[in-house]
Amino acid sequence: MIYTVYHSTRFFYQQEVGFSHNLIRLQPRSTPIQEVINFDMTIEPIAAESEIFTDFFGNRIHHLLIRESHSQLHVVAQSRVKINFNALEILQDNCNRVSSLTYAQAQERMMFLTPEIIEAKQFALKSPLLPIASVEIVNYALMSIKHERSLYEGILEFMGRIFSDFSFVSGFSDLSTPVERVFSEKKGVCQDFAHFAITALRSLGIPTRYMSGYIETTPPEGEEKLFGSDASHAWFSVYFPGFGWFDFDPTNNMVPKNQHIVLGYGRDYSDISPIQGVIHGSGQSRLNVMVDVSREDY
Amino acid sequence: MSSMFEEYRLSSSFDEMFDSNKNIRPHWKQLEENLERIGLEQLRSKQKEIDWRLEDNGVTYNVYNDPGGLNRPWKLDPIPFVIEESQWKVVEEGLKQRCKLLNLLLQDIYGEQKTIQEGIIPMEVIYAHGGFMREMHGMKSPLVIYAADMARGPDGKIWVVNDRTQAPSGLGYAIENRLTMNSAMQDLYKGISVKRLYDFFEIFKSIFQGDTLNRNVEPLNVLLSPGPHNETYFEHAYLSSFLGLTLVQGQDLLAKNGAVWLKSLKGLRRIDTILRRVDEMYCDPLELRPDSHLGVSGLVQAIRSGGVGMINPLGSGVLENLGLNPFMSHLARYFLDEELILPQIATWWCGQAKEQEFVLGNLDRLIVKTIDRMGEKHTYVCKDMTKKELKVLKQNILEQPHRYVGQEEVEFATCPTMIKDSIEPRRAVIRAYTIAQSDTYTLMPGALVRVGMNNDSLMVSNQFGGSSKDLWVLGESQSVPLNPIFKSQTTIENSLENIPSLRAENLFWLGRYLMRSILTARMIRTVLKYMTNASRYDQESNRQTEEMLTKALTHVTMTYPGFLEENANIDPFLEIASITLDTSRIGSLAQIIMMLSNTNTYAKNLLPLEASHIYERLSREWGILCQEVKPQPRFMIFNLDKLLMQLMAYKELIQESLFAEQGSILYEIGSRIERAQLLISKARSLLISVHEVVSEYEILEALLTTCESLNAYRARYRSSFDLRNVIEFLLLDINFPKSLIGEIDGMMKILPQLPKFKNAIYLNRYEEPIFEAFSMIRLSKLDMLCSSSEDEYIRNELESLLSEVSKRLLIASNELSKTYFAHYDE
Repeated sequence: MIYTVYHSTRFFYQQEVGFSHNLIRLQPRSTPIQEVINFDMTIEPIAAESEIFTDFFGNRIHHLLIRESHSQLHVVAQSRVKINFNALEILQDNCNRVSSLTYAQAQERMMFLTPEIIEAKQFALKSPLLPIASVEIVNYALMSIKHERSLYEGILEFMGRIFSDFSFVSGFSDLSTPVERVFSEKKGVCQDFAHFAITALRSLGIPTRYMSGYIETTPPEGEEKLFGSDASHAWFSVYFPGFGWFDFDPTNNMVPKNQHIVLGYGRDYSDISPIQGVIHGSGQSRLNVMVDVSREDY
Repeated sequence: MSSMFEEYRLSSSFDEMFDSNKNIRPHWKQLEENLERIGLEQLRSKQKEIDWRLEDNGVTYNVYNDPGGLNRPWKLDPIPFVIEESQWKVVEEGLKQRCKLLNLLLQDIYGEQKTIQEGIIPMEVIYAHGGFMREMHGMKSPLVIYAADMARGPDGKIWVVNDRTQAPSGLGYAIENRLTMNSAMQDLYKGISVKRLYDFFEIFKSIFQGDTLNRNVEPLNVLLSPGPHNETYFEHAYLSSFLGLTLVQGQDLLAKNGAVWLKSLKGLRRIDTILRRVDEMYCDPLELRPDSHLGVSGLVQAIRSGGVGMINPLGSGVLENLGLNPFMSHLARYFLDEELILPQIATWWCGQAKEQEFVLGNLDRLIVKTIDRMGEKHTYVCKDMTKKELKVLKQNILEQPHRYVGQEEVEFATCPTMIKDSIEPRRAVIRAYTIAQSDTYTLMPGALVRVGMNNDSLMVSNQFGGSSKDLWVLGESQSVPLNPIFKSQTTIENSLENIPSLRAENLFWLGRYLMRSILTARMIRTVLKYMTNASRYDQESNRQTEEMLTKALTHVTMTYPGFLEENANIDPFLEIASITLDTSRIGSLAQIIMMLSNTNTYAKNLLPLEASHIYERLSREWGILCQEVKPQPRFMIFNLDKLLMQLMAYKELIQESLFAEQGSILYEIGSRIERAQLLISKARSLLISVHEVVSEYEILEALLTTCESLNAYRARYRSSFDLRNVIEFLLLDINFPKSLIGEIDGMMKILPQLPKFKNAIYLNRYEEPIFEAFSMIRLSKLDMLCSSSEDEYIRNELESLLSEVSKRLLIASNELSKTYFAHYDE
C-alpha cells in the first residue's frame, strides 16, 4: 500500500522579507514499517540555496536560503510512502511478546547499559519543552503503570485514560502552553496529549519520544473525502528494553499501524517542528497549512 | 628596621609567601627585599600609578546592573603572585595533559561516543548538560584555547577548580596586567628573572595565520563579540587589535553559500576564522536560541559545510562540566594510559546511587553545584542555607540527580595583597591559558590571578569586586629576538573600504541623532524663550506666532497630535515639558538622546577619551533633569542651554578627531541628511502659510534663531527680516553652508568618496536622488517660491519643492542603507 502525502504551508508576512534562512522538516524518514519512495518539495519564491542534512536524531532536514524579496512564502512537500505489511506483522508479534514484560522488569533491564539502552536513555531525560512532572501527573500515570503489571498493557490503559479524560479542543493551547495546564484543564490537541504522556512516562524513568507525522482520516459514512481535510499529527513512542520502540496515539486511543505515517521524531516538538525560519524584517506573520493523506489506487 | 609584613596575619593553612612559622619561602625572598626597599608609602603611590595607567588605557570591566555605572575600572595589585619554575613545570604538564584529554573527549562526544558506549562516562553527564549541542553532532573541530582555574589547596599542591572551554575570557586582562607591571613596577623586578609571555603570544597569533580559504586574498579573521554592553568588551577590543582581527558583532555578518561573510563598506568579504566571544547558544537564531540577537542566522549550517573556522568550536561548552571530574582519571587512562597529573577538588556526581546518598547525607559540609552553569543559580553553599532552601535543593537533586555534584569545601591558599593602606592575605584563583595547535599544546608562562575582596570570600570573581594580580613564573626564557609585542597591523584593516557595516551604520546614525538632538533642543529653547519673553504689543499676532511656533515644534519632533489637535485644551508648558523630557514618548528630545546614547556606546572606542567624559556627564545631568515632574520654563531653558553646550563640545570633538579611514564620511553624510530634513520640516511648518506682517516678522526671527543663522543673515542682508531674503538665504544660497542647497551640495561632493562597486561613470542609486534634489533647488525661481495662491494663502510652489526634496533625501538614505549596511542583494 502506498500513501501520497501533500503538505502545503503558506506564510503571509506583514512586510516584504528580503533574506530568510529556513529549516524544513517535511521529508518523512524511512522506518522498518514505512519506506519513502519519493519526496519532492517546491518553494515559492525559489530558494537561492538549499542543502540537506541528517540531524542528531536521524531526521532529514532541508536548509533553505531565500533571497528574493517576498511577502508570502509557500512550501509544498509531497511524498510517497510505502507501508511494509511484513514489518507490520512482525510488529504485531512483538506486541504480543512485549506484553509479558512488567514495569519492574523493564526498569531492571534498563540498568544493563548496552549501546541500545544508552541510546534510549536520552529520551528519559528532561527536554527543552517538557519539564519534570508534578506529583499530580506522576500519580495520574501511576494509576495505570504498576510495578508488577505488564508495562505495555499499563501504557495502553494510560493512553485510553488520556483519550477519555481529555477533550480535543483546538485553539485552547499553543506551543507555550505548559503541560501542567493541559493536565489541569484536561484539554488540548494531539501535540499536547503527546507532550503530556511523554512528561508523565519520563518521570517514571521510561524513555519516551515525540513522534511527528500524519494520520489517514476517513470521511463520515456516505460522504466523499475532501482534498486537504487532513492535518499534521503527533503521538508518542515508548522504549521497551529488549524489544525496542512501540508507538501509541492517545488522540485516537489506538496503536499506530498502517494508518500512521512518520515524519520524524525527537525529544519533543522543538526537535522536529516542520518549518523554522528567521526573517530579516519586522512584523508578524500569518500561517495557512493544508495537508492531504490519501491511498494510491492500484 | 620594621618590615611592611609585620602586621601580616596568616589566616589560612597555606600562604604563598610565608610558611606556617612565618618564615619567608625561599622563592619570595628577592621579591620581599624589593618590596621592603620600595616601602609601603611608595607602594601606595605605585598602586595609584597603576590605577591611573589602567584607566588611561581604558581598561574596564563592565558589570551588569551596576548602579555605579556600566564601566568599572580594572584593578591590579602591585604585588605579583610568584611561583617557582619547578612547580610551574608540574602545572604545565598537568594542564597540557588535561587540555589534550578534553580535546579527545570533545571529538568523541560529537563523534562516535565510544566513551559513553564503553561506560567510561555515564551518558547523563553529557546528555543532561546544557552545553551539549545536538546540532553539532559530526563536528570535528578541535578545542584551541583552554583555560583552567586553579588554586592551591591546603596540602600546598595546585588543584584544578574549573575548566573553561567555551569562550574563555581574561587573556586580554592578563596581557594588560603584565604590560602595566613592566611599566609601573620596574623596581620590583630587580634581581628576579621572570619568564616572558612574548613567545606564547607569537604562537597565539600564528593560529590565525594558517591557510586562507579565500584564494589570492588576504585572510580575514574576526573576533565575534556580543557588543559594548558585554562585561569583557574591553578585552574584545583589546584582543582583536592585538591579534590583528576585525572586531565584529552578529549584525556585521551574513551566512550564505556555505560560508560566513563580513558586511563591509566595500561589500561582502568572506571570513576565514571566527574567534568567538558570543556564548555558543546565542550564535544562530535559526538553529540555536531563537531569541538571540547576537548571532548570525545560518551560521551553524555554514560550520556544518566547513565554510568557516571557529575558535573554540560550537559545542565545546559541554566540557565545562563538573560532572566529568569524577571520571577524569578514567578518561586519562582510557585515552592516554596516564594518571592525572594535577589533582582536582573531590567531587561526587549525584547520578550514581552511592554518591547521591553521600551528598544528601553530608549536605551541611558540602558545596552543591549543577554540572553546567545554564540555570540561574549553580552554586549552593549548603551551610549558609535555610532549612526550607535545603529542602528544595534536596528535592531538585532527587528529581534530576545527574544534574548535580557535591564538592568538598576547600580552604584555598592566600597571598599578600595591598588592601587600602596595608598588606593582607587574600585568597587567590589562578586562570592559566593553554593553546592547542594540531597536537602541540602550549601553556602561557603567566596567568591572570584574581583575589577576593574579603578575607573569607570563597567566591573569587570579578563580578563581586576584588582585584587581580600578575603571575610571575621564575626562570629564564629561551632567547628569541626581541620584537615589540605590538606589531603594526597591515594597512588593509584600516582602510575605509574594510570598515564593518555595523560600525559604518552606527557612525551614520551618530551623525543623524546628534544633529537631531542639537536641532530639537534649539527649537524647543527658541519656542520656550518666545513664550516666556514675548513682548506683548499685539495680543492677536503674538497669539498667532505662538500657535505657529508650537505647531512647528510638533511637526519637527513628529510628536503628533500634540499642538495640532483642534480645540485641544492642553497646557502648552506641560506639552513642551513632555516633548522635552518624556523618555517614553516617541520623538521627544529625551528619546532622541537615548538613541544617541546607544550610538555613542558603539562609537566610543573610536572617539577620544574627552568625548566619553563629556558624554557621560551630559548623560548623567540629563538623566537627572528627566526626573523633573513639573519643570519651570526658565529652569528648562537654563538646562537646555547647558545641554546644547555639552552637545556642541561633543560634536566638535568628534569632528576634530574622527578621521577618514575610520569612517568620518558616514558621520558627515548622516549629519547632513538630518540637518537638511529638519530644515525642510521647519520651513514647511513656518514658511508655507502666509501670515500677517507682525507675526511673520517674529516667525522669521525664530526660524533664523533655531538655525543659528541670525547673525549671518544680518551680516548678509543688513536688513530686517524679510520673507524673500530668508527663503533665499536658508534654502537657495549655495554660498551659505547651512542653507538647504549648501547641505545638499556638500553631500554631492562627499558621496563619491564612498567605496564604489561598479565603475564611476554613472551615478549610484543613492546619488541619483541627491542629484535630483540639487537640480530642483538650483532650478527654482525665488519669485515663484514666494508667491501664494490668492484665495488660500498658501505658498504652493514652495511646499511642493520642499516635499519633493524631502522625499529624495529619504530615498537616498534608504538606498545608502541597502548598499552599504544590509548587503542582502549581493
